[in-house]
Amino acid sequence: MWLKELLKNIEKNMTKEKRLKKRHNAEKRFRFYGLASIFLALLFVLILVQNIFSKGSSAFMKTAINVDVFYDPELLGVKNGATKDEILEADFFDITIETLLKTYPTNNLDEENQLIDLFTTDAELEIKNALINNSNLLGKTVSLEITSSDDIDQLHKGNYPRDLPEERRRISNFQLSIYDNFLENKKIIKNFNNYFFKNGDSRDPEIAGIGGALVGSFYSILICLLLSFPIAVLASIYLEEFAPKNKITDFIEININNLAAVPSIVYGLLALQILLATIQLPRSTPLVAGITLALMTLPRIIIPCRASLKAVPPSIREGALAVGASKFQSVFHHVVPLALPGTLSGTIIGLAQALGETAPLILIGMVAFVVDIPSTPIDPSSSLPVQVYLWSESAERGFVEKTSATIMMLLSFLIVMNFLAVYLRQKFEKRWN
Amino acid sequence: MSNEHTVKSYEEELQHLTDSVIKMGSLTETQLVDSMDAIIKVDKDSIDKIIKSDEEINKFRSKIDTQIMTLLVKRAPMAIDLRETISSLKISQDLERIGDLSKSNAKKIKPLPLDLPEELLSNLKRLGDLVIKQLNDVIDSYVNKNFDKAKDVWEKDEQVDDLTYIAMESVIEFLSKDKKNLDFSTHLIFATKNLERAGDHITNIAESICYLIKGEYLKGNRPKGKVIQE
Amino acid sequence: MSDIKIKSKNLNVYYGNKQALFDVNLDLNEKEVTALIGPSGCGKSTFIRCINRMNDVIDICKVTGNIEIDGIEINSKELDVVSLRERVGMVFQKPNPFPKSIYDNISYGPKIHGKGESKNELDEIVENSLRKAALWEEVKDRLNEPGTGLSGGQQQRLCIARAISVNPEVILMDEPCSALDPIATAKIEELIDELKKTYTIVIVTHSMAQAVRVSQKTGFFHLGKLIEVGKTEKIFKNPDNKMTQDYITGRFG
Repeated sequence: MWLKELLKNIEKNMTKEKRLKKRHNAEKRFRFYGLASIFLALLFVLILVQNIFSKGSSAFMKTAINVDVFYDPELLGVKNGATKDEILEADFFDITIETLLKTYPTNNLDEENQLIDLFTTDAELEIKNALINNSNLLGKTVSLEITSSDDIDQLHKGNYPRDLPEERRRISNFQLSIYDNFLENKKIIKNFNNYFFKNGDSRDPEIAGIGGALVGSFYSILICLLLSFPIAVLASIYLEEFAPKNKITDFIEININNLAAVPSIVYGLLALQILLATIQLPRSTPLVAGITLALMTLPRIIIPCRASLKAVPPSIREGALAVGASKFQSVFHHVVPLALPGTLSGTIIGLAQALGETAPLILIGMVAFVVDIPSTPIDPSSSLPVQVYLWSESAERGFVEKTSATIMMLLSFLIVMNFLAVYLRQKFEKRWN
Repeated sequence: MSNEHTVKSYEEELQHLTDSVIKMGSLTETQLVDSMDAIIKVDKDSIDKIIKSDEEINKFRSKIDTQIMTLLVKRAPMAIDLRETISSLKISQDLERIGDLSKSNAKKIKPLPLDLPEELLSNLKRLGDLVIKQLNDVIDSYVNKNFDKAKDVWEKDEQVDDLTYIAMESVIEFLSKDKKNLDFSTHLIFATKNLERAGDHITNIAESICYLIKGEYLKGNRPKGKVIQE
Repeated sequence: MSDIKIKSKNLNVYYGNKQALFDVNLDLNEKEVTALIGPSGCGKSTFIRCINRMNDVIDICKVTGNIEIDGIEINSKELDVVSLRERVGMVFQKPNPFPKSIYDNISYGPKIHGKGESKNELDEIVENSLRKAALWEEVKDRLNEPGTGLSGGQQQRLCIARAISVNPEVILMDEPCSALDPIATAKIEELIDELKKTYTIVIVTHSMAQAVRVSQKTGFFHLGKLIEVGKTEKIFKNPDNKMTQDYITGRFG
C-alpha cells in the first residue's frame, strides 16, 4: 500500500544520505592527508634550512683585530717616496712582526709566538696590501683591521668551549687572556668576510674562500651550456620533426631516455678514460668538467625539448605549410619558438642539476687542493659542490661554518635558477595564449 | 523511394501531407459526383448538402497549407521531397477550385425545370462522367505515383474539350427553341463551362504530378479540342 | 561557361594499405565555387588536400593519377611544392592563426615568398588582404595584437586573409564554418560570394544548405568515389543518381 511505498522511499533516501555523507567524509580525509603531507614536508624543509643557516650564516662575517701599523721605510728597506714597484719588492716581514708584538706585552719567545698565532697567517699580506693601495701611508702610522686566526674567529663566534682543560684546547690560557684584553679594549670587531668570496681554497680556514670554486663552477657550467644546449636542441628538432619514424629512431629515443637515468658517476668514469687518459686533456679543469657535465645534461635537455616540440599542435605546422613555407621554415619560424618555453625551463633545470653534481667531478680530479683562482677554463680549479665535499672532511672547526655557507650559496643559485625557469615558462606561455 | 528518411518524424510529416491531399481529392471527387447527379436528376433537395460539404474541402486546404509551411521551415526539403511539397501546394489549390466549381454547379440546379430534353441531359452526363473519370484517374496516379496514367489524363483533356463543345451545342439549341428557356439556359451554359474548367484544373493536377515524378515539365502544349469562343 | 582550372584524372589515394580515393575524375572551373559534399570519411578532404599536396606531409599517404592546374601536372617530383602552395591556398576547419600579431600573420607569407621588400609594400599587402577578407575595419587599430585574441569568426577571416596575402589563384576551404556561429558563418558565406569573382574556390562542407547557397557546382562523394557532379541547382533539385538523392534528403544510413 501507499504507506509501505512511503516507508520504502524514506529508507532509500536515508541510505542515500548515509552514502553521501560517507563520500564527503572520504573526501575530507583525503584533503587532510594531502595538507598534512604538505605541512610535514614544509616542516622538514624549514628544519633543514634552519640547520644550514644557523651553521653557515656566521661564515659571512670574519673577526678582525684593530692594530696600529707604522710603515717604517727603514724596516721596509725603501726610501720615502718610493714607487709602487719598489714597495711591491719590499719585505714586510719585519714590520708585521713588530706590529703584532706591539699589541700586548709578552715575556718570552713562546708567548710571542702565541701572540702572533692570534692573527691570520696572511697578516703580512694584509699589511702589505694596505700600503700598496695607498702609498701615501709610507712613513705614517695607521690603524688597520687585521683578520684574526681561525681559532680566535671561532672563539669570538662562540663556537669554542672555553671550559675545556688547557691541554685539550687549541687556545692556551695566555691567548685567552689576550683575547679577553682585546675584547675589553674593543679591539675585536667583526667585519664582512670578503675573503669568503675573493679567495681560493686555503689550509687556514679564516682566509679560505669559494672564489676558486665559484669561478670553476661558472666556467664548467658555461662550457656545459655552450656544448649541450645547441646539440640537444638541434638533435631534438631533427629527431622530432625531420627524422623518418622507424625502428632506428625508436631505438634512439629509448636510449636517450635511458641515458637520462644513468648515474652521474658513470659519466665521470667515461670522462676519466676518454677525456683524460686517451685524449689527455688537462685534469681538474673546467674544460673537462664542462664536457662531462654536457654529456650528462644532453639527455636532460633533449627530453623536455622533444616533449615541447610534440606539444605544438599540428594545426600550426599545417597553417605554415599551407601558406607556402618549406618544412624547414615551418619548423624554425613557427614550431621552435612555441617549444621554446618548455625547452628553456628544461635547460635551466638541467643546468641546475649539473651545478650540483659532485661525483663525476671528483673522478676527473677536481678534488685537488687548488689555491689560485682559475683565469681560463684550462686552469685547474675546483667547483662548488666539490668544495663542500673537501671542506666537510677537514678537521678545523672553521671549515664547518664555511661548508654550510657554501651549501647556502649553492642552494640560492639553484633556487634562483628554478625560479627563472618558472618565470620564463609563464612569460612565454602567456604570449602564446 | 525504397528507403526511408533517417529522421522518422520527417517521414511521417511527408506521409501526412500526402494523405491530406488524397483525402481532399476524394472529398472533391464525391462532391463532383454528387453535383453531377443532382443536375441530371434535377434533384433540388441535395443542393444544401453539396454546398455544405464544400466547407470540408476548404478546411483541408488550410490544413495542407499549414503542413507545407511546417515542412518548409523545419526540414528544408531537397530534390524529390521539395517537389513533393510544392506539388501538394499546387494540387490542393486546384482541388479547391474544382470543389468551388461543383458547388457553383449545384447552385444552378434551383431554377431548372424538371422536363429538360433527353439529348441535352445525356450530353451533359457524358461530359460529367468523363470529368469525373479524369479526376478519379488523376487522384489514382497521385496515390500510385504513376507517370503514364497522369500523362494520359493530361492528354485526354482534348476529349473533355470536345465533349464540352457537343454539350454546349445542345444547350444553345435548347435555348434558341423557346424564349422562355433563356433564364435557365444561361445557368446551363455556365454549368457546362464549369465542367470544362474543372477539366482544366484536373489537367493542371496531372502536370504537377508529372513534374513531381520526373522533375521536369511535360513538353509541348496541352492538347486542345474544339473550343467555343468565349 | 568558365574555363577549367583544375582537372583530376584517375586520381587514387592510399593511406598505407587502405584506399581512400578511387579513380576520381573531377573538373573544377575557374572563378567558380565548387562544393564537395558527402558523409564523413568519404574522401572529400583527402581530395582537396591533393590539390595543394598537403598529403605529402603524411608519410604513409600515396597518390597516383593526375592533377593538372592550368594544364600543368602537379604530382610530378620536379614541381616545387612551395610554389604550388603559393598559388593554391588553404583554410582549415578550425581557425589556426599563428600565435603572432595580426600584422605578422598576414605578412609572413609574402615575406617568405619574397613579395613586399619594403615596409610600405608589406603594409599595403596586409591592408589589402584584410580588406578583401572583410576584416580591415575591425582590426585596423590593433594590428599588433595577437591573432589568437580575436573571436572565432574573426580568426577564420584572418586565416582567409592570410591565404589571400600571397595572391593565390585557388583557395581550398575544408569545412571553414563548422566551428563558427550562424552570424560568423553568414559573414564568411558573404565573403565567399565576393571572393569567387577573383579566385577559384573549392569548399568541403557538411551543410547541404550551405552548399546550395554558396556554390555553382557540386560534387557528391561516397566511400572514396565521386558519385555525381553537376550544377548545384540540378544536384539539389533533381539529381540523377539515387544515392545522391538519398544523401541530400536524409535517407542515408
